Amino acid sequence: MNQPETKRILIVNQSSPYSSGNAKESLDLALAAGTFEQDVSILFTGDACYQLLAAQNPKEIDSKNLNQMLKVLPIYGVENLFVDQQSLFDRNIKHLDEDLKIIKVSTSESRELYQNATTVFRF
Amino acid sequence: MIFSILVLGAPFNSQSSYSAFRFVKAALESEHTIYRVFFYQDGIHNSSAIATPPQDEFNLYQGWQDLQKKYSLDFVTCIAAAARRGLLNESEAQRHNKDNSNMAKQFDLSGLGQLVEATALSDQVITFGQ
Repeated sequence: MNQPETKRILIVNQSSPYSSGNAKESLDLALAAGTFEQDVSILFTGDACYQLLAAQNPKEIDSKNLNQMLKVLPIYGVENLFVDQQSLFDRNIKHLDEDLKIIKVSTSESRELYQNATTVFRF
Repeated sequence: MIFSILVLGAPFNSQSSYSAFRFVKAALESEHTIYRVFFYQDGIHNSSAIATPPQDEFNLYQGWQDLQKKYSLDFVTCIAAAARRGLLNESEAQRHNKDNSNMAKQFDLSGLGQLVEATALSDQVITFGQ
């Protein structure tokens, strides 16, 4: 692989964890981008908030625990995790998994994330 | 301008892969550069060698293959996304002990690193689908 210049990638995640492949496949992209030392941020918005809940038990539906996989992101250099505060409020979600270091952002702050990114991928 | 294209939608199911096809064609005809077209999620179905639309409809699968040949484009299909959806080239079919392969040879199977690299080396990445 050629030596690429670093881009600021924003992955916007708006899907619930197990209803489609989006959560898993966006996570795979985040891990790949982290592996190649790109500047990656992830913004969780809408139903993607449900990905951030503790005590998920997807074994019941024969799925891997995505929440556990989110926790390895920092090992791959993906440390900028954000969640849209309004989406949490709309869903009455008060407690996120405390093992995830995730920053709550306002609508104007999430707008800044978009503005600062050179490339946005939405899932 | 150097573009890379990310295709996420399956042909026929959504308009997105046809729109991607038209964009790539238009970009090349107006002397822009397409660094890579990356097929991910349901977009991997564009690389099927056996999909057969009715004869009185536009054959998008053939369209992609012809475009690749004409401009020697770099088409990469995500290997993990393809395998889990039942799309294998010959070597992957052998590796997974399957009797048949079903992927057009104009597409290479590779990993998401190819999308990351394309992002780094292109001026713009345009996503079609989602």
